[in-house]
Amino acid sequence: MSIPFQLNGRPVSFDGPEDAPLLWVVREHFGLTGSKFGCGIGMCGACTMHVDGAPIRTCVLAVGNVRGRAIRTIEGVAADADNAVRKAWNDLDVPQCGYCQSGMIMTATALLAETPAPTDQDIDRWMTNLCRCATYVRIRQAIHAAAAARQHKS
Amino acid sequence: MGRRRFLEVAAAFGALLAVPLDPAVAARDGAAAEADIELTDWIFIDAQGGVTLGLCQPEVGQGSYTALPAILAEELDADWPAVKVRWVMGRDAYKIQFRNEKPSQKEGASTSTTKFYARLRVAGAAARDVLVRAAAARWQVPVSDCATESGMVRNTRTGDTLPYGALAAEAARLPLSPAPRLKTPAEFRLIGKALPRRDTAAKTDGSAKYGLDAEVPGMLNAAIALSPTIGGWLVRINNEAEIRQQPGVRAIVRLDDGVIVVAERYWQALRAVQMLDATFSPGENGGLSTELIDRLAESGLDAEIGVTALARGDAPRILGQNPDQVIESRFSVPHLAHAAMEPMNATVHVQPDRVDVWGSIQSTDASVAVISKISGVAEEKVHLHIGFLGGSFGGKIAPDFVAQAVRAAMAVGRPVKLIRTREMDIQHDHFRPNNKGRLRAVVDRDGYPVAVHARVCGQSLFATTRPNWLTKTPLGDYDESMVDGIYNQSYEIPHFHVDVIQTPLPIPVYFMRSVGSSAGVLFWESFITDLAHKAGIDQYQYRRHLLRNNPAALKVLDAVAAAASWDTPPPAGTVRGISFDTYHGRGGSFVTYVAEIVELVRKGDSWRVARVFCAIDAGLVVNHNTFIAQIQGGIGFSLTSALKSEITFNRGGAEQSNFADYPLLSIGEMPEVVPIVVESDRPPQGVGEIMVAPLAPAISQALLHATGRRPDRMPFRAEVFKASA
Ligand code: FES
Ligand code: FES
Repeated sequence: MSIPFQLNGRPVSFDGPEDAPLLWVVREHFGLTGSKFGCGIGMCGACTMHVDGAPIRTCVLAVGNVRGRAIRTIEGVAADADNAVRKAWNDLDVPQCGYCQSGMIMTATALLAETPAPTDQDIDRWMTNLCRCATYVRIRQAIHAAAAARQHKS
Repeated sequence: MGRRRFLEVAAAFGALLAVPLDPAVAARDGAAAEADIELTDWIFIDAQGGVTLGLCQPEVGQGSYTALPAILAEELDADWPAVKVRWVMGRDAYKIQFRNEKPSQKEGASTSTTKFYARLRVAGAAARDVLVRAAAARWQVPVSDCATESGMVRNTRTGDTLPYGALAAEAARLPLSPAPRLKTPAEFRLIGKALPRRDTAAKTDGSAKYGLDAEVPGMLNAAIALSPTIGGWLVRINNEAEIRQQPGVRAIVRLDDGVIVVAERYWQALRAVQMLDATFSPGENGGLSTELIDRLAESGLDAEIGVTALARGDAPRILGQNPDQVIESRFSVPHLAHAAMEPMNATVHVQPDRVDVWGSIQSTDASVAVISKISGVAEEKVHLHIGFLGGSFGGKIAPDFVAQAVRAAMAVGRPVKLIRTREMDIQHDHFRPNNKGRLRAVVDRDGYPVAVHARVCGQSLFATTRPNWLTKTPLGDYDESMVDGIYNQSYEIPHFHVDVIQTPLPIPVYFMRSVGSSAGVLFWESFITDLAHKAGIDQYQYRRHLLRNNPAALKVLDAVAAAASWDTPPPAGTVRGISFDTYHGRGGSFVTYVAEIVELVRKGDSWRVARVFCAIDAGLVVNHNTFIAQIQGGIGFSLTSALKSEITFNRGGAEQSNFADYPLLSIGEMPEVVPIVVESDRPPQGVGEIMVAPLAPAISQALLHATGRRPDRMPFRAEVFKASA
């Protein structure tokens, strides 16, 4: 049975079991490898994508749940030249090994959509993704910088 | 050093790091490389004038992909924004030597910059020199009339310019000068600046390729289940028929100690491996537990004698003669897992006359040897394609996961990508060893140590991984890494005795960021804290006194104290701790000084690590941007070990398996970090591991001030941060 959904604005459909994890469907069947596998149990956030705008950990999300929904991955976010979050990430050279950063950017982008001027406490509560390189100092700076840049524009 | 000027094929080269690890792309690079003109082992110029720089040290996050090519580009006077970087392997020029080992290509011990700084400068300058001579010959002017800038030679009289691409063929025919003129620091345009990382854009748009992302035509995917006990073996698979029938499953590969399920897709392999019902024999370690490990280490602490690592003066006698004046402290650290964010993985394609391997691999030559041995294909025909590593911290040096992928690929006769689940990555890591320390001192009238005896007991890293690195003594061998940061500490102690007792364990162990220092500096600096506290002397002044004849160390200690305004009492609800370490690179490869001050701030009924000042003298800093990033990240890495991480064993296996029980620091727990770069005119010294060790003892000292109790075992539990009412 096929499962239709939107992937970065493009209609796609997956022919396979409902319970295949979305992360691997996107990586293996649609060839978008920017989303990473870190824990497989929903704890690290390396696999975060947007499902109808909400940041979701897709290693534990069965593809059957996204029938008809809009999925956005890091590749989709990066295609948006105006993405203030990615720009702040680049300006501040946030990544070290970089492996967690797709998930970080997806989560931070969703945070700013919800809370345009987040406080440090908002960041602490929202950004539960893990980074073993502990790039957290620059992540925090980048979120504040992106928030400021977006506010400046609007 | 053979200098092949024209590359016949790019056989020895992997794909460009920045491009997909897709063989189609790699082949294109190979074609391009055929036209490359090679000026040195590191510098390749194509017909269009494009300059490609070789990188032999994997990018694990530390910034080697930026800092090392920048050193070449500096002396070459290349057009930095335009240069490309390519992974290179297989030549002597790319090898480094550790201790008494034979030279090999690998990365570790914070040596990428220290070991390659001079070599890359000479290579860049030698290439620049032949380009200048080629231009001078073309223009028929003296060399002194030629200057270089941004990838071209300029005739200083006429203003004419020639791009490097136009000169490369002639330059390659000229002999290289063995001692080309190097720039003076005043002439540097790249070294010593804050250079943006070259890999950032690819790491923020999802295009950076890691081992996990390798894609080879016809590839299958594999998941692995290993024996739950260390040294256990596979007896039987109880539901083999059922597993074979799972969607996508193509093969079940039996290993002595595990099972690999190979399927079309990784998620199919993952699902099948989760359903696997296999019986393992626990082997002889079924009784191994942390309780036993602790008891073993504990018993060594009070043993009559250990193997002496350092004997200055007559400490044992002085301590023995003054038993009631002895001040004693004991400490303990557990085993740790590396837990890099990218789980260990490798993709292997075995053909009759060559093997290709894509993966997150930190030790190049060691992996090649293992791959060759298992596949029976000669080492020269093993090709590693190393992309970005999603972290390593020493965890991707031991190539057992590569060996497992080779076995799977050979069993199915197709390329296979094997990805360890997080559970397998943690439970079957090669761990940072445990150990325990007992420190004893007699002090003088002012409270400064006269005689100290430090004893460390635990599992030896070298005995397990590098037996020929053990130091031989008449009483037996010892592992100096067990007393890193103690036997080579910098304080003046007239009588100083250090000894070691190794308690052999069957647990696989390996180097982890900051190696033995992560325990040794905790023991040592916490003990100094105790002595200063007993003497009633300010912790900073106490350390200053012990370092009074060491100006380089004092400079760093004073720098951190000044930055944190140590001499001004902190506001109410804030306490501080200070620590110091001289980090000696293995085998004397470098010396880096580091001092840290941590501020704990009271929040409700507990204390939290709010701010960390970290001053480092690592000689010349090649790239300030990544240097600062290493300090920030290293503090977070260290805080994870201080507050959270512990691997315990029960029934012969590790009890932790994922981030639920092996938690990592979160952003809300990350302190503010104030880096202080203490410039010095020494050449670059090691950086990547240096900031890790001093943090925990600075925290424990601050806790002593805050709560009156100094914790003595890592990780520091939440209870020790509880404020006393
Ligand atoms: S891989 Fe999905 S949360 Fe870790
Ligand atoms: S940058 Fe390495 S895990 Fe976050």
